[in-house]
Amino acid sequence: MRLLTASTGSYPRIGKTPDLQLLRQTIAQWESGKKTEADLKAAEDALTRAAIAEQVDAGLDLVTDGQIRWYDPISHLAGKLENVSINGLLRFFDTNFYFRQPVVRGPVRWTRAVLRAEYELARAASPKPVKPVLTGAITLARHSIVEYPPYQKDFRQLVLDYNEAVAQEVRELAAAGASVIQIDEPSILQDPSSIRLLEETLQALASSKGAARLALHVYFGDPAPVLERLLASPADIVSLDFTYNPGLVERVAAARPAKALGLGLLDGRNTKLEDPGGVLRALDRILPQTRAEECYLQPSSGLEYLPRDRALEKLKRLVAIRNQVRN
Amino acid sequence: MQKLGLDLPLLPTTSVGSFPKPPSLARARTDYAKGKITAAALQAEEEKATAFWMEAQEQIGLDVLVDGEQYRGDMVVYFAEHMPGFEIGDLVRSYGNRYYHKPILTGEVRWPGPITVAWWKFAQRCTAKPVKGMLTGPYTVMDWSFNEHYPDRKSACLALAREIRKEVEALLEAGAKIIQIDEPATSVRPEELPLVVEAMQVVTEGLPGYFITHICYGAFRRIYPAMLEIPVDNFDLEMANNQLSLLDLFREHRFRKDISFGVVDVHSHVVEDRATVEQRLEQALQVLQPEQVWVDPDCGLKTRSVEEAQEKLRVVVEAARRLREQYANRSAPAR
Repeated sequence: MRLLTASTGSYPRIGKTPDLQLLRQTIAQWESGKKTEADLKAAEDALTRAAIAEQVDAGLDLVTDGQIRWYDPISHLAGKLENVSINGLLRFFDTNFYFRQPVVRGPVRWTRAVLRAEYELARAASPKPVKPVLTGAITLARHSIVEYPPYQKDFRQLVLDYNEAVAQEVRELAAAGASVIQIDEPSILQDPSSIRLLEETLQALASSKGAARLALHVYFGDPAPVLERLLASPADIVSLDFTYNPGLVERVAAARPAKALGLGLLDGRNTKLEDPGGVLRALDRILPQTRAEECYLQPSSGLEYLPRDRALEKLKRLVAIRNQVRN
Repeated sequence: MQKLGLDLPLLPTTSVGSFPKPPSLARARTDYAKGKITAAALQAEEEKATAFWMEAQEQIGLDVLVDGEQYRGDMVVYFAEHMPGFEIGDLVRSYGNRYYHKPILTGEVRWPGPITVAWWKFAQRCTAKPVKGMLTGPYTVMDWSFNEHYPDRKSACLALAREIRKEVEALLEAGAKIIQIDEPATSVRPEELPLVVEAMQVVTEGLPGYFITHICYGAFRRIYPAMLEIPVDNFDLEMANNQLSLLDLFREHRFRKDISFGVVDVHSHVVEDRATVEQRLEQALQVLQPEQVWVDPDCGLKTRSVEEAQEKLRVVVEAARRLREQYANRSAPAR
């Protein structure tokens, strides 16, 4: 059993120093017509490289591009699909972060690759493997305003059409060389009755992934009610948020998972640094019961909910804890 | 309201709290942060900006005014900066390209003495119209802070409630009659609604004021109608941003308190035309009684330009006046 360290998704795109304020300033100037699209892309590239460098320097084995270009987890992909426009703000789960709601007015169709170029740039900038992150179809659908009558009558079809777009992105990312592709489906924890639909979407993604492995990540809720189904799903890696249910460690250990796990044992949403002893005890319970060859220790969620200095501290703590396991 | 000595017209107009800072104040804040000007010089700019907005609200014709929060950066951070028990963290993103300094609870929280009272008095001296006392509620302060001190969310929230009540008492003692206690985080965890209710009870119980709470950008379907148990008189809700979809909920379960009904979207640069706003208000009045409706923007206007904010307030007032005339000529249906 190898225990690797991984990032979960987003990373702060701002910080204290002037170079880390570049993206915020450039977006403001771009919005007022003082900067070009090329300036904006250059600023996004610079902050992406900075996010990758911090993850690598912290010692992570698997990093992300920090989702620096993402306006939010929903509209970044949904807003680029045919027949989907972007509407007003809504709170993203129980955070105080807000996303723009997609409005679906016709059949959802993928027209162009959204993440491939972002992934290729990140991979070129990283000495460690980069894990691209996609928001899954159920979460996209649950956060959409549906004004297209066929979808109003048939939510499943909306999910499947969103999923076809996600599958196209998975194909592109796999073709570009991604070895692990993360699919975020936090909505399944609010809506466990859709578990069969989640399995169906993952099955379709599994047939699009080529040589890549799919990492399903669920967060912002307690996965215990659907744990066994998640562990039996067509994902190669199942990644869980342990911050909502103190009893989850025992549940996971008792399930004797055959799959690789993403262990979100460090709270991605609170600055308080975890006591290594508590995390090590959890790992001692879970890892011996897991029949996979490797698992990932990671934050419970993306880290852009933390200030940058605290996000970096969290990653360093994560790596330090893993190193204690290794020793 | 009459018991409190307040005589407001039908469909009173107000605003949710914050207004944009004029460029001179924005510059002064930057200069102060860099150590180029003194705290007194910054305060002079804040007072100038507050006076500007008081006059603007009078000129536009709003009925219940606010101080515009020219002296605040963020609705939670401002209180955290003043209350022992907090540290101020570095920036985190709120949405899009907006960021704020998220506070960190690192010790026992404590009311340090009046925080907003001097500003409320300053604003009230500028007008004969009522000025709302403006506070952020304990649940939102708790939810929008990191917690490194209290064992759980409930104990952090109730500790904050006990201290915020002291600020409410200080505002009432200074003469404020209408106090708004913003709880925009209310809908984040529906299972915690009883905690929001309990905390607001701690803040308002037995106190002689007209209490408003502002809740926005949340999953109302999951907390309505139970949220009406929050012990306040008036719920200030964003309605325009969600295309008035909350009215469907009010049709299912009668909205039995007063409402400050948001009729303009504060996150759009586009200023709605009067016909659009009137139409929104007419739709509201198909479901709500005119006697229970106040009219305002969806949320604080601080993210708009000074001109956009004024135009949005103006269209709110114009639309409310038109409807007020229409409804004043009708006999009010029984509530």
